[in-house]
Amino acid sequence: MDSENNVIVEYREVTKKFGNFTANDSISLKIYGNTIHSVIGENGAGKSTLMKILFGIYSQDGGELIVKGKPVKFKSPLEAISDNIGMLHQHFELIEDFTIFENVILGSEITNTGVIETKDTRKRIIDLIDKYKLGLDIDNKISEVSISEKQKVEILKLLFRNSEILIFDEPTSVLSPVEVDEFFKIIRMFKAEGKTIILITHKLNEIKELADRVSVLRKGKLVYEVNSNELDLEVLSREIIGPMEVTHLTDERAGTDYDSELLLSFDSVSVKKDNVLKLNGISFHVSSGEVYGICGVEGNGQSEIVDTIIGALKISAGSLKLNTGDVSLVPDDRIGKGMIKEFNIGENVLLREKNVTHFTKKNIKETSEKVISEYDVRLSDSLSPLASLSGGNQQKVIFGRETGLDNKMMVLVHPTRGVDINSSAFIYKIIIEQRNKNKGILLISSDLEEILKLSDRIGVIFKGRISQEYPKSDFTFSNDEDKHNFMVKVGKAMIGIE
Amino acid sequence: MMSRKLKANMLSIALSLLTTIILTSILLLAIGKNPLMVYSMLISEVFGTGYGLGQAIFKATPLIICGCGLALCFQASLFNIGAEGQLNAGAFAMSIAAYTFDDYLGFGVLPFAIICGFIVSALWGLIPAFLKIKRGISEVITTIMMNFIALALVNYFLIDFIAVKSTVRTEKILDSVFIPKLSDFFGSFQGSSANLTFVFAILLAVFLYYMLYKTRFGYEIRAVGLNPTASKYLGIKTNKIIMWSFLLGAGITSLVGINFIFGYKGYYEFGFSNNLGFTSIAVTLLAKNNPIGIIFTAFLFGVLDYGGLAVNTIVPKEIMLVFQALVILSILAIDKIVKIYYLKED
Ligand SMILES: Nc1ncnc2c1ncn2[C@@H]1O[C@H](COP(=O)(O)OP(=O)(O)OP(=O)(O)O)[C@@H](O)[C@H]1O
Ligand SMILES: [Mg+2]
Repeated sequence: MDSENNVIVEYREVTKKFGNFTANDSISLKIYGNTIHSVIGENGAGKSTLMKILFGIYSQDGGELIVKGKPVKFKSPLEAISDNIGMLHQHFELIEDFTIFENVILGSEITNTGVIETKDTRKRIIDLIDKYKLGLDIDNKISEVSISEKQKVEILKLLFRNSEILIFDEPTSVLSPVEVDEFFKIIRMFKAEGKTIILITHKLNEIKELADRVSVLRKGKLVYEVNSNELDLEVLSREIIGPMEVTHLTDERAGTDYDSELLLSFDSVSVKKDNVLKLNGISFHVSSGEVYGICGVEGNGQSEIVDTIIGALKISAGSLKLNTGDVSLVPDDRIGKGMIKEFNIGENVLLREKNVTHFTKKNIKETSEKVISEYDVRLSDSLSPLASLSGGNQQKVIFGRETGLDNKMMVLVHPTRGVDINSSAFIYKIIIEQRNKNKGILLISSDLEEILKLSDRIGVIFKGRISQEYPKSDFTFSNDEDKHNFMVKVGKAMIGIE
Repeated sequence: MMSRKLKANMLSIALSLLTTIILTSILLLAIGKNPLMVYSMLISEVFGTGYGLGQAIFKATPLIICGCGLALCFQASLFNIGAEGQLNAGAFAMSIAAYTFDDYLGFGVLPFAIICGFIVSALWGLIPAFLKIKRGISEVITTIMMNFIALALVNYFLIDFIAVKSTVRTEKILDSVFIPKLSDFFGSFQGSSANLTFVFAILLAVFLYYMLYKTRFGYEIRAVGLNPTASKYLGIKTNKIIMWSFLLGAGITSLVGINFIFGYKGYYEFGFSNNLGFTSIAVTLLAKNNPIGIIFTAFLFGVLDYGGLAVNTIVPKEIMLVFQALVILSILAIDKIVKIYYLKED
């Protein structure tokens, strides 16, 4: 595979700047045809930026990009698409009110004297769905489908446009374990067909399982590359964080010697949304000084739990008790729900601090800098709008903001989604610290490892109710096999087997 | 340091003005006029005499005020097309309060009448706000419709009950409660109708700027305007914000009545607004909903408005309407171009 004539994409000393900030610093990188090439690195290292250059969203300020032997400088994604390049973004770009079919053809409609040709196109799309076992109904509206289905729609879009070079930007961060397996199967099918896959991820095990070659970016520079046969995960993680200190998860839990009070309880709560029953008599509670973890496949009622707590949805049966003032919330969709992306860090933080009535320049700047240093946020300019931050850094800002509010109750949905390994460990540490300060934490995540690591009790959510609940003793393991067995058991409960 | 965004805004405004000047020149050439002559006449008429400048200021004043009200709504992403109706209802009420109570209250009638006008206008704005919050009805449609209702009602009450015989205006207020003209302070404005309302308008714009960009209330308004869903998750009471923006925004539009009633004629007259509520939309959009920017765009429109009259001897004054429309079209187009090529946004 290392034969030079098999190079399909080559970056030659590519540099990309935002103002004075260098996001990609003279990167030279070769991607070989029909391989799975992984790009990894800390939040803000420049991964998404590098890929956006290949996809024509940005154009490089220096250096050359060579695709299939030809130097290119794409002015827009349309040009990249016509060179058979496709990209699945970190944040989906689907139109909620359109059907799957409409979303797939949008932008590459086949028209017949100005009228969109549907019959053959529908057939082609349905064939693709069958071939890759995507299990989608093309007449469903995007607003009605789950996150993993949305992702499949994005994949379908790539296939429909005959993409041969597929860029996936953190594709698995939104998936539950079962869905990750399905996704891997699809990726392997792509490879078997001769496609080239570029995979950005923060998860080392995914690299181990899939990648043929790995490139590591750190602070905008390419620092390390290795083929799968020489891959050593220890070395790899060292290269990712560089000479920085590794944050270790101290699982030290303070004894619960304070009185624990009930902060939140759902008692047989049912909730309807657009006349569909989304929470179906759900019961659970969260007390102070504990982390209650809810795991499940996305779309089983998780977001409705959050909406009910913040009062955006009305209860149709049962009762909800919230014995606390304001609730800190890290929502599932950081851009859509977690921030005003046009505002900067300080403004977003102050917006949540209800006692602040005046937003002075000084206050905004100081608040920004506090979050930046506490959470090691990497960004080009401390006052730039949140939209320009990398995904993981946005997440760190939201988490930092909500923790700083010092509310008694915290609701954390996928708190480390898109966050790199080291920062994840830091966030875990803070969560445990908060718990030890007698806060009550409701943790909702599809990442089972995360749930196991942090929770004091676990509930499995399936079809709008907690189908299984496990006390800490059930998941305190003496060996790996116990852990594996437990995870299999919970994994099954998550999809309703057993 | 100027932020990149601000620079981009300045750039697009400058480029649009340039484009407009060029396009208007072509039009002038086409009708056989010398553009240089027209522009130089316009400039010397407006800026060469105190009277001309005063008239431009006088025309700009209500545009600033109404623009400020609209900016408040637009920043919350409430596309209030109903200013024409709101300000007529408000100014009508203001004049009635003014001529009824001027004997009793003396100069105190000014704040009293302002409050009356404000309340009527605000209530008129509250109806579309309420329909939006409770029923999710688009404010664009309701405010347009409310214009017709407001104008018809004002017309009905004015003509049938209130108007001075054989006119379409209310009674005049006492001479003693008029607000001073600018020419009372600066003699060179002699003859023009510009009055202290202009100073009030500037203060209003500054105050509104401060509110929108420095206070929690303003930040919440802009947050709701930028992303209502996220605002809800961030704990902002979005319905409350929508209600207050509409109420205050509509209320502010009524303050244009001060310029006309207390500063100029002394009464409300049907048709006094002359589509002010709509022209202000353009003024506000051109300034990107920024109250400080509105001072300048309103002044530009004031200059064109009076300048149109001044050059009327050599070209039809409609030319200046064309100019105003071209400015708006070019800012819409050029803004996009600047965003793509200067800010590199997609
Ligand atoms: N449009 C932009 N304007 C200014 N700075 C930007 C812009 N886009 C990215 N950056 C900066 O460039 C750096 C790299 O961003 P990028 O999105 O490539 O990171 P990443 O490696 O994908 O990180 P993550 O793992 O968090 O997704 C970040 O520090 C970010 O703040
Ligand atoms: Mg990224």
